[in-house]
Amino acid sequence: MYDVIIIGAGPAGLSAATTSANEGLNVLVIDEYMKAGGRLLGQLYEEPDGTYWNGIKESNHLYEQARRSGAEIKLRNSVHNIEKSGDVWLVYTERATYETSHLLLATGAAESPLPVPGWTLPGVMSVGAAQVMTNVHRVKPGKRGVIIGVNPLAAVIASELQMAGVEVAALTLPQMNGLNEEAANPKQVMNQLLHVAHMAPSALIRQGSKWMKPSIMQQLGITFYPKSGFKMWGIPVHLRKAVTEILGDEKVAAVKLATVKPNGDVIEGTEEIITCDFVCIAGGLYPLTELAAVAGCPFYLVEELGGYVPLHNERMETALDGLYVAGNITGIEGAKIAIAQGVTAGLTMASNHGVPGLEARIDQSIKEIEHTRDSAPFHFHPDVKKGKQIVQEKWEEMMKAEQPL
Amino acid sequence: MSERITNHPVLGPIDMKKEVSFIFNGKIYKGYEGESIAAALLANNIRTLRYHEESGSPRGIYCNIGHCFECRVTVNEKQGQRACLTPLKEGMAIQSSGMLPTPVKEWRETYV
Amino acid sequence: MNQQDFLVCRCEEVTYNELMETASRNGCTARELKLRTRAGMGYCGGRTCRPLVQQITKKLEQAPHTRVTLKYQPPVRPISFGVLGGGEE
Repeated sequence: MYDVIIIGAGPAGLSAATTSANEGLNVLVIDEYMKAGGRLLGQLYEEPDGTYWNGIKESNHLYEQARRSGAEIKLRNSVHNIEKSGDVWLVYTERATYETSHLLLATGAAESPLPVPGWTLPGVMSVGAAQVMTNVHRVKPGKRGVIIGVNPLAAVIASELQMAGVEVAALTLPQMNGLNEEAANPKQVMNQLLHVAHMAPSALIRQGSKWMKPSIMQQLGITFYPKSGFKMWGIPVHLRKAVTEILGDEKVAAVKLATVKPNGDVIEGTEEIITCDFVCIAGGLYPLTELAAVAGCPFYLVEELGGYVPLHNERMETALDGLYVAGNITGIEGAKIAIAQGVTAGLTMASNHGVPGLEARIDQSIKEIEHTRDSAPFHFHPDVKKGKQIVQEKWEEMMKAEQPL
Repeated sequence: MSERITNHPVLGPIDMKKEVSFIFNGKIYKGYEGESIAAALLANNIRTLRYHEESGSPRGIYCNIGHCFECRVTVNEKQGQRACLTPLKEGMAIQSSGMLPTPVKEWRETYV
Repeated sequence: MNQQDFLVCRCEEVTYNELMETASRNGCTARELKLRTRAGMGYCGGRTCRPLVQQITKKLEQAPHTRVTLKYQPPVRPISFGVLGGGEE
């Protein structure tokens, strides 16, 4: 029997583990990956101050911190079910069933695909897969790749690939269909990019400054919808072209690219073939909530947070007693915000477990989340704060409904 | 063709790990101990990890972090192991699965 | 230009046209569309294609910001009968 079990050894889970173990709680962290760190492991980008955010280093630091605090960390073990029995949460894993009073779901995010014909061919992978292969395993996903999907995550990973000596032949759109109206519409993609660039020129521009002098803003502003595309860190970005098919027999050999109208419609007869040996699909992230769903949490679809999120409050408590959430399961944001949320979740669990005098620190930690959010160089979803507000309002509605005056 | 990133401008030189031998579909390859099977295979330029059970279409890694199960292989006779989550060990025998006989595939036409 | 059909659910090999036709013929919710086509019901448990299946049926389903419970069934990872029975792997 543990005081706290945390599912997910990413930034949120590890920081929650450290925080609650430091308050004297008996903590177990479970993760199915072979290393601790979650999606943080693959991250590598230049900060506005010119230093590098190295996901491997940060992950090791969080892992060591959690270990030193006394938390037990079990990697390579998958959780397949959770269930409440009386006051106890049961956590069913491949290896054993564990019991706990407080259960934190820090399961992070999964990637949404942008399917195009041929996307099951070996050599087609999610952009996150290419990132992990390159930065964590240090194996090139291929010699020359095409990235389908133009968004901040795709751009950052493209630059990481290039840094590792992998050629990125193009960042481009998928052919429009009923599943990708936003990601395949040049006008909408452009607006999203402008929005991001406006909010955080440094994250996108400074990072590339070593490779490219003119700013992305200039490029975007001067040549609106350039049919020939523009270059970002030397990588061709095509907002007026779309992949209509990925070609190859046993594996990726090329992509078929066509010019599209500003509304995304393919212009007949414009197809060209670009050879490549791998393709990345960059459809964005969505909160990975399956365990919260299995437990019976109420959910809201909040597009500003990347999808369905379990109802929770600022203290990271869900509507179910003893069940907590932190990190990307509460909405798609950066690792620093996940770390801050983990602190709040850790303190809340300790307080609910009977550790006295934590209220001021919990309040302070909640402010710290907001501060981290406000100072983030860019947001995956520009309206993330609105999304957070919606969840907060829904929580208050629920509390009112349950406790009539 | 894929290759290892031995030196990285920011991450520095690759950690020197112990080289091990393993078998994939009856052939012997070399990789590093503790790296994922998926990484070891890709470093050996192997992308196809299995064939779809019904259609036989080739599949490789897709998500690389355990979500999609596309990379599932048989490891030391244990089926359904995710190559992206399984650390490589000396002498490991890895087998990709292939198309299975599915005589009752066409049920869908009746219901969709 | 005619759109080539393509797979949406990689595990059960359900195509885009199949999903769109089934959805429009039956006015499906995401859950019904899954049950009719098996999209999202394969080995991965829908982690890859679930957002796409939801996208198809979004217009027919509830307004945004409505409280829902998501239909997920355990196990959320494939497990052997041995593990399920409480025995060894």
